[in-house]
Amino acid sequence: MISIENLHLTIEGKEILKGIDLHLQPGDIYGLLGPNGAGKSTTIFALLGLRAYGSGRISVLGRDPGEHAAAIRSSVGVMPENAGFYEWMTAPAYLLWYGRLYGETQSQRDLLPLLEKVGLGTQGHRLIGTYSRGMKQRLAVARALMPHPSLLILDEPTNGLDPKGRREIHDLLFEFAAERNAGVLLCTHLLDDVDRLCNRIGIIDRGRTRIEGRLGDLLAEQETDKRYRLRLEVEPEDTANLPAGISLLAHEGDWWRVQIQFEIPGGPSTLWGELWRRGWRILEIRSEASSLEELYLNITAPGHSHVQEAAI
Amino acid sequence: MKKWKDILLAMVAMVLIAAVSAAAEAPLILDLRPDNNNPSAPVMGDHLRFWSTIMNTGADPIEGLVAWISLVEIDPGNEQPVDLEDWSAHKAVTGATLEPGQSLRTDWPMRLIKGGDYRVVVSVTDRGSHTVFTSPTIQFSVRQKPVLQAGRVLPVAAGVPLLIIGLMVFNKTRQRRKKVQL
Amino acid sequence: MKTHWTIAYKESAQMLRSQRGLLWVLAFSGLLSAFSLLLVSNTELSLLDNAQVVYMMSGTVLAAGALLAAILGSDAYAGEKERGTLVPLLCAPISVTALLTGKALGMLTAWGVMFAEATPYLWAVGASGQNLGAALLYLALFGTPVVLGFGYLAMAVSARTGSVLASLLSTITLLMLAASPFLIGPGLRGTAIGRALDAVNPFAGALNTFDSVIIDSEPFSAQFARLLLVVVWLGLCLLAARRSAARPNFQ
Repeated sequence: MISIENLHLTIEGKEILKGIDLHLQPGDIYGLLGPNGAGKSTTIFALLGLRAYGSGRISVLGRDPGEHAAAIRSSVGVMPENAGFYEWMTAPAYLLWYGRLYGETQSQRDLLPLLEKVGLGTQGHRLIGTYSRGMKQRLAVARALMPHPSLLILDEPTNGLDPKGRREIHDLLFEFAAERNAGVLLCTHLLDDVDRLCNRIGIIDRGRTRIEGRLGDLLAEQETDKRYRLRLEVEPEDTANLPAGISLLAHEGDWWRVQIQFEIPGGPSTLWGELWRRGWRILEIRSEASSLEELYLNITAPGHSHVQEAAI
Repeated sequence: MKKWKDILLAMVAMVLIAAVSAAAEAPLILDLRPDNNNPSAPVMGDHLRFWSTIMNTGADPIEGLVAWISLVEIDPGNEQPVDLEDWSAHKAVTGATLEPGQSLRTDWPMRLIKGGDYRVVVSVTDRGSHTVFTSPTIQFSVRQKPVLQAGRVLPVAAGVPLLIIGLMVFNKTRQRRKKVQL
Repeated sequence: MKTHWTIAYKESAQMLRSQRGLLWVLAFSGLLSAFSLLLVSNTELSLLDNAQVVYMMSGTVLAAGALLAAILGSDAYAGEKERGTLVPLLCAPISVTALLTGKALGMLTAWGVMFAEATPYLWAVGASGQNLGAALLYLALFGTPVVLGFGYLAMAVSARTGSVLASLLSTITLLMLAASPFLIGPGLRGTAIGRALDAVNPFAGALNTFDSVIIDSEPFSAQFARLLLVVVWLGLCLLAARRSAARPNFQ
């Protein structure tokens, strides 16, 4: 659906993209990661034909955005970061109007299921100007989904949402990708979102793709043990007597850092149950420096040499 | 001493005689008359027309003739020349040549922009002479007419803004009451 | 519905259906009402010739229209960028031409509303005089390209700079320069430089046409050169707008 190879792009004499690679297939949910100013948004704008690129190759839905931008955009739903609305309109009126730009001929009534999906079903009568930030974020997702796109591009879609809202959006994206065998390109800083949603990732830094490929493959390539932080109700009586496969790393304030050495049948929950029986009153479990976070931090560390892998 | 006095007197007399002769022998005749169709009691907005006739009565051709119309307001306390910018698009005739005995007849249309008492005159000069000749003046009065009728302006000036305010109130009420029937 | 009509619908609705938008309609009628009341209440002014008054009011409508076009044009790209609504618009499948045309149609709607609003005022001050019909016709015929030209020019600067302030300052400055001969007076306009400026100034071209038609009752044939001037002005501004809109400043 998207194929970018060695993309170079200059804006006002400054080279912003210096070699971007990105490959997204139908059904993929692709996480595009990178620090601020890495070039994520610029890459998206190049995909949509809003920025002319200097060299390299871009193909979106089989077309070059330099020549077929409008045709590409007619099949792509986009949720830009910090995107605004016409605040004097209501949500259904806005979506109806926006849909006309895609040639949609729905009525406001037809849009109700979509608004309900994003959690705005009861807010349709209010002007968008009265919406909270989270509500506008939901409306932005609805706007991206409304033209029934083949490809969805989302930039920080869960900004401003509470955990429940984030989960609802995640479920929407899963449903979208699965139902329509469509592609989703997700730009986000939230590694938890990527962890949960994405099967492919690309990490870009300073205008270059540092690493790209299937998430499972990339994580398997680097040695990562599973580490967790546990918050306990009371200090356990015996911290030396631990179940097999788990070792205690450190005790830092309220948190107990443990490491699981190998795959446990039934997953880590088996071990948590065993710890509970041994008096570890666990209140909270956090995955410490999830392997994705380690991967990200390693790749974007200042001294990291430029390695570009495309595990397609 | 008496001799010098006599010479001086003779010179003054010669100058005076020359001046009188020149006046008595002006090379053209200038006439100005109102058009027969001019309204007898013109009011602001009316059109007037004047006709001038310039005839070369001299023995030589008059070349580079320039004739122009002037208007002066003579209302007591308001005496002033009038800028003919809005009164007339035809304010001068230039560059004409008149052979001996030839006449030039010109019309001077005018729209009456402002009320008051006026005098109109046509002036003529030419390339060769250092004199400006003037026609007889014509005096006329223009009656005032209040052009803007309050009975028409006031309802519009008040009504249009009120209509728009009404629209704004209606719009606001409609937005408040509107529920999306989904 | 073609996308440029969709854009035009939004532009028009924003002006005419929102309360904030209707305020400018009210402000314009306030201006004309104040002008009309001044004419009626002042003894000297109320004796002005009908044609003179219609000419003055037509000039006021033209100036207000050009000012509104400068404001709307400045907001067209830069305002949307500053409110965050430009990028979603650019992400939709709209061509450069469709977006520009839609914005211009919205501007034309605003001018149409102003014209309709001004008509009863012009009738009220000019019905008993001459050339009212001609005044309305020439206000539409010459006013429209002048107003639209300023709108396109503002859109060109707006798209290029991405700043409403920059666009407003430059367009309104140009509008004031165009109107300055009339502020300076007939003396300076009569000089060689004044006449040369008048010959290339579309605003002056339109006002001189109003003068020629409304006051001097001159025919259409005498207005060809000035009609060409305003049409060329519109064409040049349109070209500038198309060039800037092809690569707008959106980030």
